[in-house]
Amino acid sequence: MKSLMRFLSSVKLAITLIIIIVVVSILGTLIPQERSAAEYTDRYGGLAPLLMRLSLTNLYHSAWYIVFLSLLALNTVVCTLTRLGPKLRRTFRPRLEAEAKTLLAVKDSGSLKMNFGLKETATAIRKALAARRYKAREKAEGGRIIIFGRKKVLGWFGSEIVHLGLLVILAGAIISSLTGFRAFLKLEKGKAQAVPRAGFEVRLDRFDTEYYPDGQNVKDWKSRLTVIEGGREVRTEFVEVNRPLAHKGFVLYQNSYVQEAKSPLLVFELLDPVLPEAAKKILLRPGQSAPVGKTGLTLSLQRFEPDFIRDENGLISSRSEELNNPAAQVTLSRAGENLVSGWVFARFPEFSMTHESQASGPTIVFRDIRPRISPDFSIIEAAQDKGVALIWIGCGLLMAGLCLAFYWPTREVRFLLEENKNKIDVTAAALGAKNREALSSEFVGLFKELKDQT
Amino acid sequence: MMSETTLFKAALVLYACALAIYLVFQFRKKEKLAIAGWITALLGLLFHTTALIHRTVVSGHAPFTNMYESLSFLAWACLAAYLVIDRVFKIPRAGFLFLIVVLALMLLANSPLMPKEITPLVPALQSYWLWLHVSITLLGEAFFAVAFITSLMYLAAAAREKKNRKPGGLSSEKLDAISYRCVAVGFPLFTLGGLVLGMVWAYKAWGTYWSWDPKEVWSLITWFVFALYLHTRLVMGWKGKRSAIITIIGFLLALFTYFGVNYLLTGLHSYA
Repeated sequence: MKSLMRFLSSVKLAITLIIIIVVVSILGTLIPQERSAAEYTDRYGGLAPLLMRLSLTNLYHSAWYIVFLSLLALNTVVCTLTRLGPKLRRTFRPRLEAEAKTLLAVKDSGSLKMNFGLKETATAIRKALAARRYKAREKAEGGRIIIFGRKKVLGWFGSEIVHLGLLVILAGAIISSLTGFRAFLKLEKGKAQAVPRAGFEVRLDRFDTEYYPDGQNVKDWKSRLTVIEGGREVRTEFVEVNRPLAHKGFVLYQNSYVQEAKSPLLVFELLDPVLPEAAKKILLRPGQSAPVGKTGLTLSLQRFEPDFIRDENGLISSRSEELNNPAAQVTLSRAGENLVSGWVFARFPEFSMTHESQASGPTIVFRDIRPRISPDFSIIEAAQDKGVALIWIGCGLLMAGLCLAFYWPTREVRFLLEENKNKIDVTAAALGAKNREALSSEFVGLFKELKDQT
Repeated sequence: MMSETTLFKAALVLYACALAIYLVFQFRKKEKLAIAGWITALLGLLFHTTALIHRTVVSGHAPFTNMYESLSFLAWACLAAYLVIDRVFKIPRAGFLFLIVVLALMLLANSPLMPKEITPLVPALQSYWLWLHVSITLLGEAFFAVAFITSLMYLAAAAREKKNRKPGGLSSEKLDAISYRCVAVGFPLFTLGGLVLGMVWAYKAWGTYWSWDPKEVWSLITWFVFALYLHTRLVMGWKGKRSAIITIIGFLLALFTYFGVNYLLTGLHSYA
């Protein structure tokens, strides 16, 4: 048991584990992770089954990667705890012991004789320490007084706080992976959908794609979502990339969108003096049909070609996906009887390829294409992550610990006062692991101040 | 008002001048040369700063959203870190090596391989976290770069001292200490910018703070190697040669995380 503890508390184990984790992690970035079996066979041939067997294809979630991480965590716990006890004792119940010889062996040390009495000397030292914000502890025994002055004691615990932070982060990560939940909602405009496990619904009120002035590059995707709880609208907010909405432990993100292929919105106009003004403009997508006001007429759009071409056999297709010669195949009917049917062209409103059953019937004009219509569906990711709070707490501890460890160096000055032929022999040494230069100069100043008093 | 390209080129020329001065300084140890080198580099840095501000104002976003911008910013951060460290620790002999690194980054940024036109920011990058995450990470890496150079100099100085040749410039002991001080600045910055703020932003933008994306994994690897450096040094008392070698490896890993991952591995961070 003892040897196991010694093994688990050794820094050598930590170093070995870190090296293993580093090497294995590198491997994981060289092999693409979590792809299909077919892709691995494609890429690695006969090696593929072995790689999958060894979990090298899903390395970061594999049992043995987790074992290494857990061992490192255990090592950190044991290491920190075994060092914490002596450190706490040193902080709160230090053994005030000092010998002149050992003090003088320290790099920043010195001795001098004071003309005061023992008590007065101690008072002078306490004052000098207090002026430099040192907290003093004192012990008198016989003709000796020992004084320890300390400041920035928290700096001693920097590495412990770092390690605690890392363990809290790990705990958060475990909670995240065990209880975390995410779902992707394909939301259609105007419709509400229940967020799985969340006990509320969201409705997509509108979905906008914003473009930069160049008209090409997307500036933002924005969904206006309304949260509905038990049929009641609770809140309405815009969700965009980098700006999620948090509600009752769930966070809703703008993930992506779906635009049905080749489905632009086309604008048609019916030219007919008898039609009322309101019925004239009709918006359709391919495959849709719509009534023309209350006239009893129906306009349907069968097909759309962005770059219309007809070959020698009369076959119609698109030369490209560019809107070079947009054409629409439309039918205008009344009670099942086709009045007008054929192709109309956006670039050539005067020209058409249509059959008309009546000579003086309405004419269809292809007015406009709206290709940059907002997409049909907004994909919203709903995520519940109970570990995330611990992650942020751990990060805070980690950063605080690093700052303490590097930039809050504990300083300790030890004094030994001994009576010697009506004078007081003062021996002192300054101890500190980091930033020795500053400690040195502080010690020199302190020493000089005492010297000047004699 | 000068254009951004002119400002950038002016900085480039001044850096080349500083490099030349530091090169002369390698052979003729006159303190005036070191001061001239430092001032020329600082002048270059001022032009470079203006170029970065100019680009920020014109583009309306942080000056590190593509490879050209971030290389230029990294060169800027490296030089700024060096100029500060040189003020504190007086290491003008590192100036020559350091300006080679800075100039290499600048020339790489200036090469035709790097598209320089300002492109509008994709939605995923429109966040103030971009400023914090990238600038702090690169600043941390800049201090790793100084540690890298001083570690190389350490190895050279140690070899020289071993042969008992007359020591030129800084002692290996001092270089070892400076290298540690640079890591002591770089490591907390890298932890904050690369890992902590990276996680915060990932959580805001992608809905998960960690996704084992290659760039994340390589950042973690870099972080682990510098953690190794600190443990071996502070707990096991490793110093000198072994510490220097770990620092060199750590910097090369940081460089790969920054540069290599974008070109050799694919993942979520493929913005450049």
